[in-house]
Amino acid sequence: MTTAIQPAGGNAGGPSSSSLADVIDTILDKGLVIDAYVRVSLVGIEILTVDARVVVASVDTYMRFAEAVNRLDISAQEPKAGLPELVGDITEGGAKHKTKGALEAAGEKLSDLLGESSSSRERAPRRARRRSDDDE
Amino acid sequence: MTNSKQSGRAEAATGIYVYGIVPADVEVEEDAQGIGDPPATVKVIREGDIAALVSPVPTDEPLGKPECLQAHARLLDGTASVAPVLPLRFGAVMTDEDSVAEELLRKNHDEFAGALHALEGQAEYVLKGRYEEDIILREVISESAEAQRLRQSLAGMSEDASRKARMALGEIVVKAIDAKRAADTDAAVNKLKGVAKQVNVRKPTHELDAVNVAVLAAVDDHDELQAEVDDLADEWGDRVHLRLLGPLAAYDFVVTRTAEG
Repeated sequence: MTTAIQPAGGNAGGPSSSSLADVIDTILDKGLVIDAYVRVSLVGIEILTVDARVVVASVDTYMRFAEAVNRLDISAQEPKAGLPELVGDITEGGAKHKTKGALEAAGEKLSDLLGESSSSRERAPRRARRRSDDDE
Repeated sequence: MTNSKQSGRAEAATGIYVYGIVPADVEVEEDAQGIGDPPATVKVIREGDIAALVSPVPTDEPLGKPECLQAHARLLDGTASVAPVLPLRFGAVMTDEDSVAEELLRKNHDEFAGALHALEGQAEYVLKGRYEEDIILREVISESAEAQRLRQSLAGMSEDASRKARMALGEIVVKAIDAKRAADTDAAVNKLKGVAKQVNVRKPTHELDAVNVAVLAAVDDHDELQAEVDDLADEWGDRVHLRLLGPLAAYDFVVTRTAEG
């Protein structure tokens, strides 16, 4: 039996539809490593590896989030009175997992307020990926 | 620089870039593209039951352009959907084809062959979820009286005077998101556990990461995996933007035994 290797599969979102960031997360940090003594050293890789490191929460992060919170237009939805009631309604009505219902229901209700449908947005990219799988 | 003094011979500045290890019956499609500009032709070096996917690479030029990183991933991920593959970390270069055959393949033959056998029919999938910032911030604020108080205290304060309050508010947000990430990651792992053979929880790569989990699953179970992810997406709605990547080469599940690097 001979197995063929699929090439790139075109640039229109191959099977993985991985962005460059996804790729960097994965291939610089994971996978087999060849013993150092049989490896040829190259210029230019170390820098990339360092750039890909995760940023740990810092004062900058705190400040950025504080700004983002400050910009939120929270008054529009009266969080204190409105949210718990809405959450209650949804957990009663839906077949959600009760332990996690509160958080997710809050998210769903807020998204309703923002006028976006929760499922349609998620579906589109997935079908695209499926199709490209089938193509191959 | 074409005629640099140290390279009297053309081969002197060329190495063999190694992408990954595959079973010996694997063949590369003619239009498969490797790293480099123009993209190098990928070839197979066989040794016993296993083989290496390789291409020539100049060793006197920096490596790691975005196209190179993506070429490396595309070749391995494309392979992973049809054959088991042991991916090498980006940047593995050996002196020549003989050293690939001898130092890499022959020396590790049984171990690689065993690992490939164990991977047969399986591939890696990565579930990535990112919180929608506005939604998750509203969630955090609505759940913390202290955050609400701090937020209100900012009104009318000068940049300088509010620094301490903003710092405290930001810290509450970061900690709350950390806790939500831990809970949501647990929920995702529980959801995927039924389909996945193995699970590897990755470190977050972004402060708004909700989930970053790699699983090893049978390629035939792709639909079931997708169904579980669909369920999660329905549960979470717009608060998390979910993506399922894969099939990918099993980067998260192949481990170098002699941990020297």
